[in-house]
Amino acid sequence: MATDFGVDEESRDTLVQSGTSSTRALAAFAVAVASVLFAISLTALFEVVTISEPIAGVPVTALLGGLLILLGGTVSMFGVGSRLGYVETDPRASAGLVAGIAFGGIWFTVASLTASQTFGLGGLGWFVVAPVIGGGAFFATILPREDVGSTVPAGALTALTGAVFLLDVIGPQWVWDLGFPDAFFVAVTAEFTIPTLTLFCSLLAGWASAKAYGGFGARGRHMGAYLLVYINALSIVGVLFVLLAFTIFKGLPGLFRGFAIGAGTGPTSTIVLFGTDITWTWPFYVPFAMEGVGLLNEFNGVLPAIFGTIWLVIGAVVFAVPLGVGAAIFLTEYAERGRFTQVVEVATNGLWSTPSIVFGLFGFAFLIPRFGGNKSLLSGALTLGFMLLPLVVITSREAMIAVPDEYRDASAALGVSKWQTIRSVVLPAALPGVVTGVILGVGRIAGETAPILLTMAGAPFTPGSETVDVIGGFQFTGAPPFVSNPALLEATSALPYQLYALITAGVGLGENVASPDQFQWATALVLLMVVLSFYAVGIAARYYFRRKLQYQ
Amino acid sequence: MTETTQETEAKREAAETGEVATAENPLTTTSGETEEETREEWIQYEFDDEAKVVSENLDVYYGDDHAIKDVSMEIPEKSVTALIGPSGCGKSTFLRCLNRMNDRIKVARIDGSVQVDGQEIYQDGVDLVELRKRVGMVFQSPNPFPKSIRDNLLYGPRKHGDLDAGLLARLTGRANEDAEEELVERTLKQAALWTEVKDRLEDNALGLSGGQQQRLCIARCLSVDPDVILMDEPASALDPIATAKIEDLIHELSKEYTVVIVTHNMQQAARISDQTAVFLTGGELVEYGETDRIFENPESQRVEDYISGKFG
Repeated sequence: MATDFGVDEESRDTLVQSGTSSTRALAAFAVAVASVLFAISLTALFEVVTISEPIAGVPVTALLGGLLILLGGTVSMFGVGSRLGYVETDPRASAGLVAGIAFGGIWFTVASLTASQTFGLGGLGWFVVAPVIGGGAFFATILPREDVGSTVPAGALTALTGAVFLLDVIGPQWVWDLGFPDAFFVAVTAEFTIPTLTLFCSLLAGWASAKAYGGFGARGRHMGAYLLVYINALSIVGVLFVLLAFTIFKGLPGLFRGFAIGAGTGPTSTIVLFGTDITWTWPFYVPFAMEGVGLLNEFNGVLPAIFGTIWLVIGAVVFAVPLGVGAAIFLTEYAERGRFTQVVEVATNGLWSTPSIVFGLFGFAFLIPRFGGNKSLLSGALTLGFMLLPLVVITSREAMIAVPDEYRDASAALGVSKWQTIRSVVLPAALPGVVTGVILGVGRIAGETAPILLTMAGAPFTPGSETVDVIGGFQFTGAPPFVSNPALLEATSALPYQLYALITAGVGLGENVASPDQFQWATALVLLMVVLSFYAVGIAARYYFRRKLQYQ
Repeated sequence: MTETTQETEAKREAAETGEVATAENPLTTTSGETEEETREEWIQYEFDDEAKVVSENLDVYYGDDHAIKDVSMEIPEKSVTALIGPSGCGKSTFLRCLNRMNDRIKVARIDGSVQVDGQEIYQDGVDLVELRKRVGMVFQSPNPFPKSIRDNLLYGPRKHGDLDAGLLARLTGRANEDAEEELVERTLKQAALWTEVKDRLEDNALGLSGGQQQRLCIARCLSVDPDVILMDEPASALDPIATAKIEDLIHELSKEYTVVIVTHNMQQAARISDQTAVFLTGGELVEYGETDRIFENPESQRVEDYISGKFG
């Protein structure tokens, strides 16, 4: 039978890529160079590498410039080589409109900046030059075959940037004064410009070379997108890692000031349990985490703030989780889906995005007058509980909706009542989702400063002996209300607030703290560790509940 | 396929059956039902045993949709009754009426009467817990709870308070662990699953194969001691071997329980049921009688067409 379906055998992609390994190696080399440049520029952006200091005797700008020219040249060469038939690829007829608009826009920007700033052509000059070059790049992208269209504009820009660095047009001392009035002196420096341009060019050329590596066509587009997504994900993880490493690096000296280990070195703790005192001495001593600030202390610490934060989070969770889960049960299982549930849903979403200072004001105006008129741990915890509540409702609802209706049917068919079904089937199945929501919420509220400032915070520099003692604070009386806890009604400090007070208000820069900078970073590190420990507890809980649901 | 070949095919089929396809009466799948009147006597089924479940003039509406029209039938005890018919004919809806599972669908409205053991279940004061304990249900896709096999089986009795396994009972020594073990073993043996799972009762039920899960669901249904077991296409999601096991099981169960089963598979209905009710499009019960008679010698032309595979 004749196969006349209009499929042109010539236009099909090859089934087996037969390109020689050396040409593929060339493209792979370009991808590698682009990745290296990306990594260097990212580290330079975070000032791990300094632009003005040479590496192994070679100026950084010269190194970057050389690599960029190499990369741009390789990419362009590969594209042109493919067009001339030296390399076997499967290009489409055009690189496409999206790539055309992107390259046109990029070249337009570059040309207008160069014309007006470098050559000083003035308003009219750039107005003529930029559209010509931008349009040229647009047509150079869409008119030729894909192999030229997607490589040459990117390669040329990369090589041009490299030449600019190499010829010292933009050198380490380069500054671009944006020309705002003096009061707002704003200038773009080389420290920022060079890494950013390198980053950008490495992404562009990396995309083009990844396309070349895939031999253009559908496979090439896949490779290009893959590279961009992959580099994006890696750089996000990298940035997070740098942040974490930075805090740890800066915070460790302060945290371990006066650290000692060995029997009898630590402070002595006492817990009163059923009337008997249990006393023990810690076998290690971390003054920063075990002491408050005191005149007689050799080293000062943030113990009151650590306990303030821990009790704050526990209080908020104890308040918000039962209420939130209860509301979610009502909304998913009992309430008829309709206008009412929709309104509640919109309201909870809105509450979750309400700025925290508004919650703080609410606590200040409504809770404090009702709890003795002073800032207190209780009003702080309740305020944060109100902040946590909407997220618990939202995530618990999602988790309960995701529980299959088959379970509810099966339970109903056994004659089990609705409440028992919810308690024994729906809630256990929804628990991992609920826990995830609580973890997310705790991460937010533990670092909240504004509401604490208004509702809870006392003096940031409290002696260690004034650490809030919630467990020991319970007092039992013979008459109603039988139990009371004055510790809950005391003002106390919390880590984010302490950090805020240290940095902005300059509190404690006196003789009490020997090195304020170390003290601040160590506080930040302790806050990070406290929040991460809450995460760890939450993740362990989720793992436990999820395992119970799964076979294995 | 082109239109011409379709026509030729229809003509060939017509030549075989002795019917002629015309514009008014094309022999295609959906319009194969003839315009015959359903007769009252086609659904008169005489049997010797007691009637366990009786429906009288049952109508079900989903909103404006009249899903079941005036269905009256008597289901004898300790036997297998198959409900067959094309998709959307209301057989599952009818089944769900028998233990009031349709109450869970908000738009459903039910008229008429259903009696279980001579007691009307659509009236005020009916205890749904007791009704569903007495009339259990097995669903189309296996739906064990994400709990251990043992907890799946003990779920119903514990929730009904028949087995007290709470912390208080355990502390005061009132928890009857022997009774629990007995119940687990009895139901699993009844569901022909005991030998396969007896060594891993603490494992999660979701780790079982599809057929095992469905037998576990049957065992779970048996754990609350029902009289009637409703099965909604219990084998449609299973492979032939698992299906054969379920069919054997149904046969065994019919010695002690009244089984009502909805199935799409006519061979299955013919193999396992004692009597068969045929529902056809429009939610009508068209014919009801002994399975052998329905399959060999149906009174209704439409039923014959359906059984011989002309439509549906």
